[in-house]
Amino acid sequence: MAAVAGKTYPAVRIEIDRERVADFARAIGADPSDGVPPTFAAVYALGATAPQLFGDEDAAIDFARLLHAEQEFEWQRHPGVGETVTSVGRVASDTSRRGMRFVSLEIDTTDAADAPVCRSRTLFVIRS
Amino acid sequence: MTKRDVTFTREQIAAYAAASGDQNPIHLDDDFARSVGLPGVIVHGMLQMGVLATVASEDAGGPEHLRRLFVRFAGMVVPGDTVTFTAGRGAKGKLDLSAVNQRGEPVLTKASAEFAPSPHRGAIRRRAPSRVQDAPRAQGEGRGA
Repeated sequence: MAAVAGKTYPAVRIEIDRERVADFARAIGADPSDGVPPTFAAVYALGATAPQLFGDEDAAIDFARLLHAEQEFEWQRHPGVGETVTSVGRVASDTSRRGMRFVSLEIDTTDAADAPVCRSRTLFVIRS
Repeated sequence: MTKRDVTFTREQIAAYAAASGDQNPIHLDDDFARSVGLPGVIVHGMLQMGVLATVASEDAGGPEHLRRLFVRFAGMVVPGDTVTFTAGRGAKGKLDLSAVNQRGEPVLTKASAEFAPSPHRGAIRRRAPSRVQDAPRAQGEGRGA
């Protein structure tokens, strides 16, 4: 296992798609007419960048043993439907103790004017 | 206080998997889930967090007021489980949140949220931009629970 603390992945651009937002809202019991649900950040932040970490041979994440342990989102504002945002993922820490590996992924999402939209922090635990 | 009981179904899990792009088979395939030591398929943690955010947004006066949300995924939720999600006004600008299953066990712990009476722009520490690539159209990659 290789520790990849400090590693930053290439920025990913993603459009906030109306239909997908509506499907997402219905799936979490929100009213699609209320706009983009706050945790749609699961798509534009986490969904956009976590696959880069999972596919990173240097990180060597054992996906079958991966648990999503903690999640935080901090929003400057909520993006609107039709907007294009950009997310950049960075491994904030990567440590092991008692046979468990703890990987923290931080994602900054910005809008077309490069203004901050959301910061996401995820703690993944990989069981041994 | 705002409260909502949700009995999770396989249909809701599948709908969330499709909409979120998190198609990890631990949420969709019982045989696969059992092969990695789970009792069967489990509900996405992010689906639980999404419902909690919906309840928190309602209590805060609308999703645009939600500024921060944190949860720890503490307990497994399986189809048929009923989780009671609550949000109520706590200390200034904060919401007290809980998510407890039908056995009284918390499934999301240390849950906390902050809300603002009106949208505002604070300062998030910025990092230097890096090279941009377009997201793949299909997001089949999944995440853990």
